[in-house]
Amino acid sequence: MTAYLLRRILIALPTLLGVVVLVFLMVRLAPGDPAVLLAGEFATPETLEAIRARYGLDRGLPEQFLIYLEALLRGDLGESARSRRPVLEELKTYFPNTLELASAAILVAVLTGIPLGVLAALRPGSGLDLSVMVLALLGVSMPVFWFGLLAILIFSVGLGWFPVAGKGTLAHLVLPAITLGINATALLARMTRGTLLEVLSQDYIRTARAKGLAERVVIFKHALRNALIPVVTVVGLEFGTLLSGAVITETIFAWPGLGQLLVGSILARDYPVVQGAVLLVAISFVLINLLVDLLYAAIDPRVRYD
Amino acid sequence: MSRLLAILGLLLLPWALAQRLVVAQGTDPTTLDAPLATDSPSATVVTHISETLFELTPEGKIVPHLAEGHSFADGGRTLTIRLRRGISFHDGTPFNAEAVKFNLERLVSRELASPFAFLLSELERVEVVDSHTVRLRLKNPFAPLLAHLTHSSTAMQSPTAIGRLGAQYRDNPVGTGPYRFQAWQKGQFVDLVRNENYWGPKPPTPQVRFIPVPEGTTRVALVETGQAHVAVRIPPQDIARLQANRAVQVVRTPSLRTIYIYFNTQRPPFNDVRVRQALNHALNREEILQFVLGGIGRVSDAPIAPGIFGYTPVGRYEYNPQRAQELLRQAGVSTPLRVTLHCPTGRYFQDIQVCEAIQGQLRRIGVEASIQTMEWGAYLQETQRPLKENRIQMAMLGWGTVTGDADYGLYPLFHSSQWAPGFNRAFYKNPEVDKLLAQARISTLPQGRQALYKEAMARIWQDAPWIFLHSEAQVTAIRQEVQGFLVHPTERYLAYRASFR
Repeated sequence: MTAYLLRRILIALPTLLGVVVLVFLMVRLAPGDPAVLLAGEFATPETLEAIRARYGLDRGLPEQFLIYLEALLRGDLGESARSRRPVLEELKTYFPNTLELASAAILVAVLTGIPLGVLAALRPGSGLDLSVMVLALLGVSMPVFWFGLLAILIFSVGLGWFPVAGKGTLAHLVLPAITLGINATALLARMTRGTLLEVLSQDYIRTARAKGLAERVVIFKHALRNALIPVVTVVGLEFGTLLSGAVITETIFAWPGLGQLLVGSILARDYPVVQGAVLLVAISFVLINLLVDLLYAAIDPRVRYD
Repeated sequence: MSRLLAILGLLLLPWALAQRLVVAQGTDPTTLDAPLATDSPSATVVTHISETLFELTPEGKIVPHLAEGHSFADGGRTLTIRLRRGISFHDGTPFNAEAVKFNLERLVSRELASPFAFLLSELERVEVVDSHTVRLRLKNPFAPLLAHLTHSSTAMQSPTAIGRLGAQYRDNPVGTGPYRFQAWQKGQFVDLVRNENYWGPKPPTPQVRFIPVPEGTTRVALVETGQAHVAVRIPPQDIARLQANRAVQVVRTPSLRTIYIYFNTQRPPFNDVRVRQALNHALNREEILQFVLGGIGRVSDAPIAPGIFGYTPVGRYEYNPQRAQELLRQAGVSTPLRVTLHCPTGRYFQDIQVCEAIQGQLRRIGVEASIQTMEWGAYLQETQRPLKENRIQMAMLGWGTVTGDADYGLYPLFHSSQWAPGFNRAFYKNPEVDKLLAQARISTLPQGRQALYKEAMARIWQDAPWIFLHSEAQVTAIRQEVQGFLVHPTERYLAYRASFR
C-alpha cells in the first residue's frame, strides 16, 4: 500500500511539470504584447518599458521559465499584475469559496442523484423510471448558463425565495449549488440505475432472495453496496470536474471563487494569476484522483494494490 | 414547506434590513491605491475615498476641489496651486502642500510604475511654497495639466498611511473624501462609511457597499428584487424589460469614448480626401445607432465626445449616397472599390455588428468592404505598426479621452509627431492642425484653448482621416427610491449625493 502510494505520487510529478510547462507557454504564446495589454492602450513607451522590466517580460522565454520554476520551488507563485498582490494570497482568498460551492454541489448530486437512480432501478420500465430518466437526460444536456439564469429569474426574481447572487448566508448557496450540481446529479442517477440493474440480475442476489431475506436487506445490504463501487469513482472524478467547472456558475451567481478570479485574470492577461490558478486546479485534480484510487481499495476488498 | 420558507426568510433578513446603498459593478476593484486603479470599478471606489485637486464636472468643466485656486506663470511653465485649508485625511494627517508634493511625486516615480504616470510627463518638480501652496515646474508649457489633475489617479492619499502600510495600502486606503474605507471582502464587497468630519457637504447616505457581479442579467435581477440599488452596464437585451418596471429607472449617460474607423491617409485610395469624405457621406449613422446599438450611444459631431473640456460640435456628415458617389467619381475611383475593413470583436459595444452594418451601407455606393477580425492583442499590434510595415487600409477603434481634456483626445491621434507606433494610426498630417494643437498646449486661458480646439477639430472634420461614428453611452439601472446618484462620463459611479426617498 505504501509502495503504491509512493509510486502514484511519483507519477503525479511529471504530470504536474507538464502542466507547468503548458500553462507557461499557453499564456505567453497567445498573440499580442503582454506589456501593452497590462499597461493599457494609452501607455507611453516609458510605462511599457517599466512594466516589462517589472514582470521580467524583457527576457527570453527560456530564461523567464527558469525564473518562474525556481520561484515556484520556493513556493513563490509571483505577483498579480493587476492587483500587485502575491498570487498565493489571491488563491487563498478565492479557492476556499470554490471548494465550498463544489462540495455543496456534489452533496446535492449524491443526495438526489443516487436515490433517484435507486428508485428508477427498482421499477424498471415504470412511469417513475421513465420520468427519472427523462429528467436525467435534461439534466445532462441543459447548458449551465441557461439553467442558472432561469433559476434566478424563477426562484429569486419571481418567487423571491433565494437571494439573486453573492455569498453570505446559507440561502445564497442553494441556487448555485443546484446549478453547478445538476449535471452531476443526472449523471449519478443514470449511473446508479444502470449498475444497480446489473447487480440485481446477478446470481448472488437470486440466492439472497431464495434464502428468504427481506427485500429491503437484499437491496440495501447486498445489491446497493456493490452497485455503488463504480458510482464512488464517478463521484470523486465529478468533484474534480466541478472544481474546475465552477467558472460559469460562479460568474452567473457572482460567487467569489477561483472561476471569477480566473476569468478576470485571463481577460486582463494577468499571467502570474492564470498560471497559479490553473496549477492549483491541476494539483487538486491529481490529488482527488489519488484519493479515489485509495478509497476504491477501502470499499472493495477485492481491490488490492501490491 | 411554509416552515422552510420562514427559516429562509430569517436567513435573508440581515440584508433586507440594512439601509445602505448597494451598487452592483461588473468586477471587484483590483486595488484601492489611486495611481494603480486602472479599471472603472477600482476608480469608482477610490473616488469616494480620495479626492483630486480639481474636479471635472459631468458637463466637462474643470473646477477647483481640494485646490482653492491656481495661476499659470512663466509662459505656462509654472503652475501655482493654492490649497484649501483645514482639511485632514481620515487618519488625522493634515492635508497640505507636503502631502500634494508627496502624492504627485509618487505618481511619476519609477518604482510605482503607474500606468497613469504619463499624465504628469511634463512635470519637472514640485515645490512647497508654504504650508498651503505648491508650485509645479514643467519641462514645457502644458495647459492640459489642469485637466490631468482631475483624474482619479492623481487623488490625494494620506502620506502617513502610505508610509506605514507600504504595499498593503491598496487594501486600506486613507483619503480626504466624503466616505472612509471600512472593509473589503475580496470578490464579495467593499464597504464604505460616511466621513462624519467631511469638509464639504456631508453625503446623505451613511453606508455604501459595492459588490462585483460579472453577469449583466444577474445585475439586472439584483436591482429588480431590490437586493442592489444600482446596477451598472445593463445589457441591451434587458433594457426593454427594465423600462417596463416601475420600481427601476434606466439612466443613459454619454461616455468619453469615441468609436471611429480610421483610414491609412498616406496610401491610395484613402490618400484622397474626397474618397474619405465619400465614405463619411455613405453612412446612415442614425440607422446604425437605432438598430445596431439599440439607441445606446450618440452620433459624433466632433472627433471627441461631449463632457470633455474643449468639445464643441463641429459638423455632421449627412447621409447622402448620391453625394458620396459623386465624390468618388471626382476622385477618379472606379467602382466597385474593394477594400479591407479591420474590426475588433467584443472589444466595444456591438463592434462587429456595427462593421457589418457599415459594410452593407458602403455597398450602396459601390464600395465592397471585406471585414477582417483579429484577437485584440494581435489587433493592437497590427494597427500600430509603423507606416512602412502597416498593411491596414481602414480599421475600427475606440478612444476614451480619460483625462477629460481635448488635448488627450486630439494630440496623440492627429498630431503628425504621433504617427504609429504612436496613436496616430491614420498617419494623418496637416501642418495647420499640428500648429493649433501645439498652441492649445501652451495657451493657458481656457477660452483661448476652446477656440483653438474648435478650429483644429473643424479642419480635422473636413480632412476626414476617420469615418466619424458615435460615442458610447453607459446604461445604468437605479431603483426608483434612490435619488441623486450620479453616473459620471468618466465611467465612475458616484454615491455621495445619493439619498433614499
